Amino acid sequence: MDNKIESVKMSNPIWENIFKRRHAVSESVLQNLKNVPIFADLTEKELLEVEKIVHRRKYKKGEPVFRMGDPGLGMYIIVEGSVDIVEEYENEESKLLATLEDGAFFGDLALLDEAPRSASAIAKVDCDIIGFFRPDLMDLLYRKPQLGIKILFALARVVGERLRRTNELLSELQRKYEAQ
Amino acid sequence: MEKVSPFSAQSLNRTIWTIFFILIGIALVIVAYPYFKMVIVLFVISWIISVILNPMVDYLESVGLNRAIAIFLIMFLIITLIAGSVALIVPAAMRAIDAITVKLQSDFLKDITLQLEKLFEEKFNNAGLARDLIAKLIELGSGLLNNMGGLLKNASSFVAFLGIIPFVTFFLIKDRRLIYHSFIAQIPNKYFELSLNVLHKVGDQVTKYIQGQAIDALIVGLLSALGLFIVNLFFGHPIPYFFFIGMIAGIANLIPYLGPIVGAVPAITLTILNAPPNVGTIILWIVVVFALVQAIDNNIVSPMVVSKSVNMHPITVVIAVILGGNIAGVIGMLVAVPVWGIIKVTVKEISWGVKHYKLK
Repeated sequence: MDNKIESVKMSNPIWENIFKRRHAVSESVLQNLKNVPIFADLTEKELLEVEKIVHRRKYKKGEPVFRMGDPGLGMYIIVEGSVDIVEEYENEESKLLATLEDGAFFGDLALLDEAPRSASAIAKVDCDIIGFFRPDLMDLLYRKPQLGIKILFALARVVGERLRRTNELLSELQRKYEAQ
Repeated sequence: MEKVSPFSAQSLNRTIWTIFFILIGIALVIVAYPYFKMVIVLFVISWIISVILNPMVDYLESVGLNRAIAIFLIMFLIITLIAGSVALIVPAAMRAIDAITVKLQSDFLKDITLQLEKLFEEKFNNAGLARDLIAKLIELGSGLLNNMGGLLKNASSFVAFLGIIPFVTFFLIKDRRLIYHSFIAQIPNKYFELSLNVLHKVGDQVTKYIQGQAIDALIVGLLSALGLFIVNLFFGHPIPYFFFIGMIAGIANLIPYLGPIVGAVPAITLTILNAPPNVGTIILWIVVVFALVQAIDNNIVSPMVVSKSVNMHPITVVIAVILGGNIAGVIGMLVAVPVWGIIKVTVKEISWGVKHYKLK
């Protein structure tokens, strides 16, 4: 990426790790899945089912995991490394929205629909990442409906929490604006 | 990132190498094809069966059954059904072929020859032409019947071939996700999401298309058999093996436009050979049955069960069927349209992916 990343201080509940659960790095996919709120309620047996359908990928420093505007396909969990979430516009400097570390997850809204990604995710260092995608979730919903519903309900909670934070932030900004 | 102009020497060089490797690939496929023909046919058939059976396996898994046991149960049921049908159909088919062969070699043919010779003598003053024409037709018909009989009688290699299909199908269903994951794991990060998305969309459409075609073939087969059964009821059973003919019509329906003719011809031929008193009326009713089945299929069944995503022009269908026939005979003709549909959907989805994903 050639564009210089400009750091911004404003909070971004959609992309930041608002769940703040930092864990020791674990090589085990199972342990990493357990640490993600979307899979937190699952039993060991159910996690083993999820483990079968996730994709484990390695990204080099600077390599995009996905680009802003790409059709959304699913979420990623960082096993090891860190990922910059960046807004990229043509002929403009890129804006850094958040930097996510080990155990954080991102792109979860794409589990719900194919809307274009609202930011790019770029590996800040060499990364080990787990991907969980919408087609696999749909397949799971059909084959193991009880497990699928558990995941969907947890996903709804995560999305709800992000919405609540966004709402709080918006209210705060509105108050500040009205006070001026 | 430095942009490469599509007209630069570097770009031209890359294009030439790409074309070169594609041509080498095509040449390798052509050279290797005769050696792998059976393996390819085996895998294509097993894969199509696995696509048809997968929803049933998924359903049994969703109600708590182990996947391997679910596959075993469904395959056991299907194999029993097929074995039962084959036990009924093959002897019937052999009897039908033998009956036609006997008829062709009997006085029935001599009578027709004499009548034609008389007709040609009267109209064109050339009875020899009729004799030549009949001789050619007999040669063609006998060759065709001998081939069909040979195909059914040479059952040992055919059974061995059929025996491998359930085995391959079992693992294609059981390890579907493992095969898919192993394939996806080889794709570079840059194309990972694009490939995953395109593969899913193509898989989804192809699965719906194949399952739709299977349901459509079954319904057309049953409707044709029912129609012929009704004709039989009214005219004193002039059409033998009507259920077998109905099923052939259902399978032949995989070939658009040509399928119904393939279905109607055996019914009409067997009726003529049976020579019932009101043969003309019966033939008319057979034509009505197949026309009615086609009308029901085109206006009600097909729009409901077959995906519209692989709609194609009649000329494309004819070209695909000819190509399929040249490459893999009758099976090639049957799978030509679905395979062409798969290629069409794949190209469409790849071009969608390339347009929507930022690959540079």
